Amino acid sequence: MVFSSLTFLYFFLPLSIVFYFAFKNIRVQNFILLLFSFIFYAWGEPVWVILLLFSGLLDYFNGLLIDKFRENKTVRLVALLNSIILNLGLLATFKYADFIIQNTNFLLGTSFTEPNILLPVGISFYTFQTLSYTIDVYKGEVKAEKNPIDFLMFVSLFPQLVAGPIVRYAEVAAQTHVRPFDWPSVATGVNRFCVGLFKKVVLANSVGILVEKYLQVQFNDLSTPEAWFGIVLYSLQLYFDFSGYSDMAIGLGRIFGFTFPENFRHPYAATSVANFYQRWHMTLGRFLRDYVYIPLGGNKKHQIRNILVVWFLTGLWHGASWNFVLWGLFLGVFMVIEKVLKKYFDLLPRFALYAYALLVVNFSRSFFYFDDFEKLGIFLGKLFYSPNPIGAGWGADLASYAFLYVVVILFCIPWDEIFPKSSKTNEVASRYYRGFSLGINLLFLLLATALIVDDTYNPFIYFRF
Amino acid sequence: MRKKLEILLVFGLMVAITTLFVVSPKEIISLSEKRTLATLPALTWDTYVSGDFSKGINLYINDHFPFRAEAVRLTEAFRYNLGFQLQNQEKIVVVGKPKKVQAPEDINLDSAAQKAYLEGFEEFDAGSVLILNGKIYTTNSGDPAISPYFAEMLNVYADSLRGKARVFSAVAPLSSAFIPLKSYNRYAERNEATLQAIQTNLNPEVYFADVMGEMNQHYNEYLWYGSDHHWTGLGAYYGYVAFCRAAGITPVPLNSMERKERKGFLGTLYELTRDQSVRDNPDRVETYIPPGIETKAIYYNAYDFKYPQLSKVFCNAPNYSAFICGDTPLMKITTNVKNGKKIAVVKNSMGNAFVVYLISHYEQIYVVDFRYSKHNLLKIMKEAQVNDLVFAVGMYAAVSRGTIGMMRNLAYQKYQDYDDVLKQEEAQRILDSINGVQDTLVVQNQN
Repeated sequence: MVFSSLTFLYFFLPLSIVFYFAFKNIRVQNFILLLFSFIFYAWGEPVWVILLLFSGLLDYFNGLLIDKFRENKTVRLVALLNSIILNLGLLATFKYADFIIQNTNFLLGTSFTEPNILLPVGISFYTFQTLSYTIDVYKGEVKAEKNPIDFLMFVSLFPQLVAGPIVRYAEVAAQTHVRPFDWPSVATGVNRFCVGLFKKVVLANSVGILVEKYLQVQFNDLSTPEAWFGIVLYSLQLYFDFSGYSDMAIGLGRIFGFTFPENFRHPYAATSVANFYQRWHMTLGRFLRDYVYIPLGGNKKHQIRNILVVWFLTGLWHGASWNFVLWGLFLGVFMVIEKVLKKYFDLLPRFALYAYALLVVNFSRSFFYFDDFEKLGIFLGKLFYSPNPIGAGWGADLASYAFLYVVVILFCIPWDEIFPKSSKTNEVASRYYRGFSLGINLLFLLLATALIVDDTYNPFIYFRF
Repeated sequence: MRKKLEILLVFGLMVAITTLFVVSPKEIISLSEKRTLATLPALTWDTYVSGDFSKGINLYINDHFPFRAEAVRLTEAFRYNLGFQLQNQEKIVVVGKPKKVQAPEDINLDSAAQKAYLEGFEEFDAGSVLILNGKIYTTNSGDPAISPYFAEMLNVYADSLRGKARVFSAVAPLSSAFIPLKSYNRYAERNEATLQAIQTNLNPEVYFADVMGEMNQHYNEYLWYGSDHHWTGLGAYYGYVAFCRAAGITPVPLNSMERKERKGFLGTLYELTRDQSVRDNPDRVETYIPPGIETKAIYYNAYDFKYPQLSKVFCNAPNYSAFICGDTPLMKITTNVKNGKKIAVVKNSMGNAFVVYLISHYEQIYVVDFRYSKHNLLKIMKEAQVNDLVFAVGMYAAVSRGTIGMMRNLAYQKYQDYDDVLKQEEAQRILDSINGVQDTLVVQNQN
């Protein structure tokens, strides 16, 4: 199930809220969240819900083992390895099997058949989450969770199950057992959810229509400005789609009394590529930093190698295809360049840094969009030169979506960085926002609903498209 | 207090809409979408495991959601007001996903011309329509590399009917071939290339009606609706003229026909895009009635010749159903022309406006909609001693494997699955009733 569906908004969510708040006992509340989370997952993955259960139970028992045999190094290590091997094994099987076999066949001339397993939704998120739990228990950073219901609830919690943020157990361990109810916190959650819904359904989807037009339908006739226009829009679509989803997740978390970590912090205000990814999908960056980069030696030993390894893995995590690896390495190389030439970068004026970061990041989205290398090559070429110098139709798209771009840009500006919390402007603006938030929430919800309904409006045409 | 209100308002709105959904009566059909609405799926182990149950519930909720029409209108207004609308600026609306062209596997493409033709179509404009100055043009032509299959299918028919009946190809181009701005010539070129590929691959014994060539001579006339994917009565007339040239018949001059006009038609492409500039520029439905011809039309179910129902060649409908009253699986038109000539027309909806002109030249016309009919075409032709067979279809049917397969099946099909038959019949009955209701609605509105 996805948040931006009528089934979720008007059935699943109200029902889960009613059932959840009908009980005061946190044990019962946890059980209700667990139940709804499994229904949520099984709605889209009726079979592979079993994997979620398996991954959850696996690390529940690994955690217990490590905790019980804290003094026995071997048992602890076996439990840890068990978690790493099985979780990564699940990922390898369900996400990378075809990719591994294709490449083996290519390199060794073998002809193994690809199993063509469909990727279970969210597997990359929840396996990382359970894995991080076992590692943290192993390192003694958190205590193992004794109650299987509470643990499975943490793993399957529907607000963050399928698209993050990747929550670490330590962050919500206390809230698993105590979640006092308070109205302001729930109101913040509702507000955040409505904003996220607006970003996903209204902004990302509206921009997405244009992206499809430029990068797919008109691909062959693209001019250089159109190619840039298309890829910048795609970059924005990704941002509003993903950050909107994270906002909804964080908002839903707040409604049920959880505080999830932030996942995005105005990435388009970055001054370098490295800085961009300190602001984009922050919980994934944090995971790889803590469990790969630092164990490899971090800044202290082989930093350049470590950066490239992390970005190779980041690429691979995003999808089982070489274009994602290329994307990761492309960014990794820029981060290395930024480290090596730091003193020169420091000399550049701020606007040049913004421009540089935007240029590289938007350019790199091409690797992300095109998984067909032939098309990717053609497209990268078009970013530099096209026989069609200006292109025909994009004037209309600039004009007829003018207000959309304004809203999109307003949403990209880091207002709270420009006007810090302590400033007078922030205070005044916050007061105004609070005054309007009631109306804004309703407006966002209604508009998003209308757009979702419109998407289901499906005139029958005797015309096979 | 304020916080509570904030929460309760959002939550209250959700619950109110949900409640409304639960208590409101559920419709069976959607008039504006011309389709039946989803019904509740049954929960069984199989439907659960396949995901059909959850998908079915999603569809059911989507289809019966309260204030659906209002939501669509709100979205329409929202999209329209996202910016400024300019003159002479194209808008492309994506309505599907483009597919990659696959070279046909079982057709041997030897000639350099064919290879060059295929190389010209790496990717085609599937899944999008183009809106320009209040008119919508269909740009997607299906998979152009498939058109040799269409020709091959016609060749097979010509083989089977050798000495008994002539076979004609009368494929209509897409409206995008007639965009009145030079910068869109590429669409015309693509249409031409696809039609040429059909012609090149036809055996000499198959007659090719140069529909596009004839229409090109009248490119600035009202050949296409701006809100619908069909050609107008006038556009189809030029298709008929092209057919006459190929068949050696003298076409009835347009000015000798009786012209009727209905205003205020908004067709399926408008429903699909909901573009306000198109709504502000509705179409008119013109019909040209050949003089001095009396007709009787009956149509049959998809799979047999029982229960014939009465129909008409020209209907009093303010939409595309004005021509042969819309799509039916098999229609038989009998005229007062006593020349012993009979024709079978294999068509999709594009053929409807074309068929009406044939009444001046044939005693009997069998109109077979290849999408619905499960009759055996060759058997019908043999029993009725039909002399001509014409494929009057829109180009998108000539460039898709699925539709070509259906046309090929007409030659030998016998109905297998009775359940399917019943389903299809039911769907057809509902579609007919929708057409009927729509006609009534619009007529009432006009009154």
